[in-house]
Amino acid sequence: MAPEMPGGGSTVAARPPGLIRAARAKGWPYLFLLPAVVAIAGIFVYPLIEVVRYSFYAGSVGSLSYVGTANYVSLWQDPVFVQSLMDNLKLLATVPIMTVLALVIALIINSQIRGWRQYRSIVFLPYILPATAMGLTFGYLLERNGVLNTFLRDIGLGALAPDWLGSGSIVVATIGMVIVWQQLGFGIVVFAAALLGVPTELIEAAKMDGAGWWQVQRLILIPHIRRVIEFFVILEAITMLSAVFTYVYVLTQGGPGNASSVVEYYIFQNGFENGAIGVASAAAVVLLVLASVLIFFYLRLRLRSEGGAK
Amino acid sequence: MHAQNGPPVAQPESRRSRRRSRRTFAAVASATAAALLVAACGATGGSGSGATDTAGQAYDANLTYWFWGESDIPGITKWMQGMATDYTKLHPKVHINLVPQSTSTLIGAFQTAAQSHSGPDVDTQWATLPTLTPYWDKQATPISDYVPSSETSQWLNTNENTTGGKVVAMPLYLIGVPLVWNKQLFREAGLNPNDPPTTWSQLLADCAALKAHGITPLGMGNKDGYFGAWMFAIFAKQELASLSNLESAIGNTGQFTQSQLDTVLTNLYTAEQELVQKGYINSDVSSLDLTQGWQLFPQKRAAMSLTTDGNAMSWAKTLGEDNIGVEAPPTWGNGALASTYDVTQSSDEFITAWSKNQAAAADFLAWLHQPANMSSLYQQTGAFPADKRFPVSSITDSMAKELYQLDTSKTSVWLENYLPPQVDNDADIPAGQMILSGSGSVSKAVALWNQVLKEWRTEQPGQFQQYKAWAANGS
Repeated sequence: MAPEMPGGGSTVAARPPGLIRAARAKGWPYLFLLPAVVAIAGIFVYPLIEVVRYSFYAGSVGSLSYVGTANYVSLWQDPVFVQSLMDNLKLLATVPIMTVLALVIALIINSQIRGWRQYRSIVFLPYILPATAMGLTFGYLLERNGVLNTFLRDIGLGALAPDWLGSGSIVVATIGMVIVWQQLGFGIVVFAAALLGVPTELIEAAKMDGAGWWQVQRLILIPHIRRVIEFFVILEAITMLSAVFTYVYVLTQGGPGNASSVVEYYIFQNGFENGAIGVASAAAVVLLVLASVLIFFYLRLRLRSEGGAK
Repeated sequence: MHAQNGPPVAQPESRRSRRRSRRTFAAVASATAAALLVAACGATGGSGSGATDTAGQAYDANLTYWFWGESDIPGITKWMQGMATDYTKLHPKVHINLVPQSTSTLIGAFQTAAQSHSGPDVDTQWATLPTLTPYWDKQATPISDYVPSSETSQWLNTNENTTGGKVVAMPLYLIGVPLVWNKQLFREAGLNPNDPPTTWSQLLADCAALKAHGITPLGMGNKDGYFGAWMFAIFAKQELASLSNLESAIGNTGQFTQSQLDTVLTNLYTAEQELVQKGYINSDVSSLDLTQGWQLFPQKRAAMSLTTDGNAMSWAKTLGEDNIGVEAPPTWGNGALASTYDVTQSSDEFITAWSKNQAAAADFLAWLHQPANMSSLYQQTGAFPADKRFPVSSITDSMAKELYQLDTSKTSVWLENYLPPQVDNDADIPAGQMILSGSGSVSKAVALWNQVLKEWRTEQPGQFQQYKAWAANGS
């Protein structure tokens, strides 16, 4: 029993008012974060959990039956899924092409040739075009007897006029070309912005030491924007894995004969067209894992380069 | 007897008499009202429950109708909008929001709505399996739950959407798929313009003659895969003795085995491959959608095409009726179904299971089949209504008469209707694309069918069991 204090008070040590205030002060930031956390949990975490859960079931929503890992097994036995994954991997080949092209054009624009501001706006235009307009336009341009092939035949290059979107052997490459055409502008703008941040003294000093244009680009500018290049490469790699659905849907709908199907299209086909939510969810989980691997590599790269910089 | 200085006091006997009169009057009035009620019900052809009493019922509903049909019948969307307006005049408290659907998202959009049990009150889907599958998945309510058989018996081709004795959806029109040929181009190739190919060997011979004269024999489009699907529907069935062959192979019941179906598919794709390799189909068939490929015919860039009645009539106006001919597609197979024609309701209209306005939706749909409305469908669009009450005498155009004669002269089967949607999307369409684009072999196309059937049976066990039960009951 607590000894009595003169005047009738208790000797139990009351928490100093400062600690309560401190506890409340610590709690306030979390309280402010709570709405965002709830929103993120609702928009990202809950659907993610549901997708993983559905991947262990077969049937349509409303009549599901638990099948364990059967969906994952059947994915790898499905030639269409394997084809879709291979198509995504083939599209990864556009990343180095896009990176090199974007870098070269950004370096040229950065040299502040006459009209460089206008060129920078023009090259960015494709990136802001709506996908459906782009799909319709290229769909017509690339028909076997469309504008491009008619032009090639007229100038005697008929041998270079294949069925761009109707031939199973080149359709993925064709889609890759369209992706490069659209995504290039983004890369150019990102690289050009990064190049503008390079201290001009370095370039002036290099020129004073006799460095030529190419030496300045190769030894000063490109190394300086290395992190931006890495970021762009990883971002585009993730795009090729998980954000090319629009191109495939508007240009070929996965055809001819599944030759241009990608994993996203496979998920759409199974989840939305066929109502086979289990298989679609399993494919989505596989895609998530692949994208996570890429993100992991990027973070490792960043940490290593930050560690090296220290 | 009169009361003193007052009105005569009613005697007890008179009071009874007045009571008797009142009772008699009430009985007569009730009987009259009942008779009037029965007469009113009889006039609209309905019974007490499920009546389509468009005059009597005061529905209060906002109906959302996802409608498709323009690709089949140009102008039908405008007709339907007119119908919705007219119906609202009869039922001012019913508002119909018509949302035209595109071909490429017809199934997918509904699947998405079904998974959240929200969306339209009425939906259009392609006939038979694309309609029955939602019903089996508890996403559709049979229209026969609301519309009596006295009315549904007037609709044509309801067998395409019937299961377990219930008519799930309402047909609106019928379309046939004839072979159309350009008589002028036939003449230029030295062929008899009035002698179209009726067998496969005749088709090949005519194609060879046309090609030799620099004329593209067949003009079609298969970028969206529908030409390949049509080839399956029209020609694969010709190797079958009956629909139950296909149903048995799909349902894996053993009477017609997978191996037997593989033989049919192998023969079909081999024949298609021959058409492609010999250059008898336009070289850009894989770059053009079905509707784009059709444009080659009226542009005189192809001598033949497989198309719908509506297009055939439109092309007759463009090229002149004397310059085009219509006939059933050539006979290719040896099965009993080789003698059937290719007419289908193509698409149908059904009520969604989650609709809170099912009775109102059913009433609107049944009202569309009123003879005056069916006549207006024909007058405005040239589509042949799927209704027995449609007067054939309304058809005065000679090409339309010829097509109607083709459509109604023999039994029709559209084989693609009997494929589960997943099998149609994932096997039928891409397999045809493989062959027609030259990007896959016949064996690879057949292997795709095997793979997809196996996957469908595993991934959709409920649908598989329902399909088997439906097929076993004579579908």
